[in-house]
Amino acid sequence: MHEPNQIKPPADSKPTGGIKQKMAYHPALLGGIALIAGALLVFADAGTKGEIAARQAEDLRASLTQVVGDDVHDNALLSDTIVLHAPLEFSDASGVKFYRARKDGKVVAAAFEVVGMGYSGEIRIMMSVQTDGTIMGVRVIQHAETPGLGDKIEARKTDWIKRFTGLSLGNRTEAQWKVKKDGGEFDQFSGATITPRAVVRAVHKGLAYFNAHRAEILDTKTLPGGPDAEVPHG
Amino acid sequence: MIIPPSSPHIAGPNSVQTVMLMVLLALLPGTMSGIYQFGWPALFLFLITSASAVAFEATCLKIAGKPVSFFCMDLSALVTGWLLAMTLPPWAPWWIGVLGSFCAIVIGKHVFGGLGQNLFNPAMLARTILLVSFPLEMTTWIAPRPFGTPQSLDVSAGWSITANGIPNLDAVSSASVLGHVRTEIGMGHQLPDILVSMYDPVASAVGSISGSLGETSAVLFLLGGLFLMAKKIISWHIPVALLGSVAVLAAIFHLIDPLRYGDPLFHLLSGGLMLGAFFIATDPVTSPVSSMGKIVFGAGCGLLLFIIRNWGGYPEGMAFAVLLMNAATPLIDHYIKPRIYGHEGSAIGRYFRQLKRG
Amino acid sequence: MADYRQIMRDGIWENNAVLVQMLALCPLLAVTSTATNGLGMGLATTAVLLTSNLVVSALRNIISNEVRIPVLILLIASIVTLVDLGMNAFMHDLHKVLGLFIPLIVTNCVILARAEAFASRQSPAAASLDGLMTGLGFTLVLVVLGGVREIIGSGTLFSHASLLLGNSFSFLDITLIEGYRGFLLMILPSGGFLALGFLLAGKKWLDLRKQDREAEATRRAKIATINAMSDEEIMQQGEPS
Repeated sequence: MHEPNQIKPPADSKPTGGIKQKMAYHPALLGGIALIAGALLVFADAGTKGEIAARQAEDLRASLTQVVGDDVHDNALLSDTIVLHAPLEFSDASGVKFYRARKDGKVVAAAFEVVGMGYSGEIRIMMSVQTDGTIMGVRVIQHAETPGLGDKIEARKTDWIKRFTGLSLGNRTEAQWKVKKDGGEFDQFSGATITPRAVVRAVHKGLAYFNAHRAEILDTKTLPGGPDAEVPHG
Repeated sequence: MIIPPSSPHIAGPNSVQTVMLMVLLALLPGTMSGIYQFGWPALFLFLITSASAVAFEATCLKIAGKPVSFFCMDLSALVTGWLLAMTLPPWAPWWIGVLGSFCAIVIGKHVFGGLGQNLFNPAMLARTILLVSFPLEMTTWIAPRPFGTPQSLDVSAGWSITANGIPNLDAVSSASVLGHVRTEIGMGHQLPDILVSMYDPVASAVGSISGSLGETSAVLFLLGGLFLMAKKIISWHIPVALLGSVAVLAAIFHLIDPLRYGDPLFHLLSGGLMLGAFFIATDPVTSPVSSMGKIVFGAGCGLLLFIIRNWGGYPEGMAFAVLLMNAATPLIDHYIKPRIYGHEGSAIGRYFRQLKRG
Repeated sequence: MADYRQIMRDGIWENNAVLVQMLALCPLLAVTSTATNGLGMGLATTAVLLTSNLVVSALRNIISNEVRIPVLILLIASIVTLVDLGMNAFMHDLHKVLGLFIPLIVTNCVILARAEAFASRQSPAAASLDGLMTGLGFTLVLVVLGGVREIIGSGTLFSHASLLLGNSFSFLDITLIEGYRGFLLMILPSGGFLALGFLLAGKKWLDLRKQDREAEATRRAKIATINAMSDEEIMQQGEPS
């Protein structure tokens, strides 16, 4: 349909029109603009990359601080990590990252993320466990549960999530790691059972995994920086 | 298109009034039985919901500049409010009833242009809005506490529940049969074990079970529906197709896996199926005109209801099933036209068709 | 010569992208669960509109008709990516909330519509003004819709405003009704449809009222003229209709 382009009317076409009629003009224009846009994006990416990474690290540090208080460790959690390959139901395929908290060079606890399937999608939970297998803290960091019902798992809404602190596989039996409706000892919420059930199950699984792999998680020989590692600032 | 003249036997809204009166009469036994089971809070909620529905109707008519007394006398708003009250948890607080009536009458009916213009059944629309917005209040069921028994509340305690809500929720709440089955199946238990402690066909039939007013006595609503059929106020097509499709589906799945799927009787007696099949799905405004269309509509409701009950997110799906089929009604009417115009036996059907034509 | 006054009136009210043209309803319904989200999305879209209109208008003489659509899409997508990167870096908390919807501004039909219908044949000044005003009109609807849904849905207004505007604006964050239980429907997408329906009806009502008033004013003016005329003049002109 573009044959007329090749037979240009020589007389009455304007100069710019003449250039625009050339077949090579379209790809050149498109290519030129793509080139400029691409260059612009590269610059923008370079300019914001550091800032974005710092913001994301801040997010991560904020959720870690909720379960590992600043007073229990003196190292940089973000740089003292180990990745283990965990079953798929546990987290994403790449494995679970354990952030180790140290005091005076000695590992005192490890924090990691577990994922539960709630009423409407994944519930991402950050939990920390002391070396003896006792839970130090649990916080929900992301969820899409029903507002007013399932969101009681958030620490700023109710104290429900703080119930986990101090529990371990040793001081609670298998049957107690369930919501009350299923015969366990955790409260469900009126009108929402699936959400607390998912959280209890995920935390329980996480704790069991920690216990089974305690040696690997707490192995101090693999650490890169030790207590001197610098806290990245952003 | 030729618009046939209206039948000489129908004089206008007065006949609507008569028809609505019949519907109310048919609802009365089931309603009274339900109120008897759940005591004063149920009565208060019922009165508040019905009265506020009429009040919203009058307000809307006034705003639209229509004669208030003339249209209010057709009782359609009262029927809507009444049906809505039948689907609420009997001990729900007063504002659930008022807000529900607002949603039904204002959003469900008058926004579309008033009587005969609405696409969706107003009562079911309101119930769905409430269920989605207030899952806690809308899923708090209590075990029956009939008048005259030691557990029943006196008037002032009953009023306090309606006015201020239930003080100690966990002490009185009791799952409905369908809700309980849903939870237990989800936990991997087998249906016969679950039903042993929970389900008694006789109790479900007479209504001494937890649920909304309209989910209690299956038998009384069945009788009310048969009365409406005998009076030719509703035709048999929708109820038979709806109940039939649920029964057939239940039978098939029960044969395949009796440990997971309930038998037909269980499904027919549970939840709001009887109320829905005779009083809600048959709403002439929002259901198809032709007999064949009605059968398709009823069977569709039954299919959706069965799917939601067994595999959906909620234990009971009458409201959702009816609303979805309401949305399909124009399509059904488009493809399945009545063979002989005006052949329908029901007077109300004719009246509403005239309204629809404008 | 473009009529700047008319461009402003069109963009914000008379030819409002949402209320009149019914464009961009998808992002509108998706993000307006709070007024703050609406404002953030609206401003992001306005920034994209302004920039894309300016760029398209500046390049309008070299963009040939045959490849104009891919070129426009390329330009808009680049601008959106820039805004996305910028917000991620400098308004990180708001970006977390709006996250998914920022890249989707590319598909916002308002932007392509303004670029194609207006910017590609007007001067850069007129095109920028049009982009700004259309964006502000869009923002206005987003904020009103978000506000209505937020007030009815959760009893607050401009919650988390400081995420968007900095801590100095945290006074905007008001809890209107203490202890309000929330009306979840309004936060859910279906509530967005409902609220939008009432908003459109409100606009229609305002327009009709304006029309009525104008008709009334014309009628009175006519009566006044007739009253001022002598009988002979009326006889000459015949009865006014």
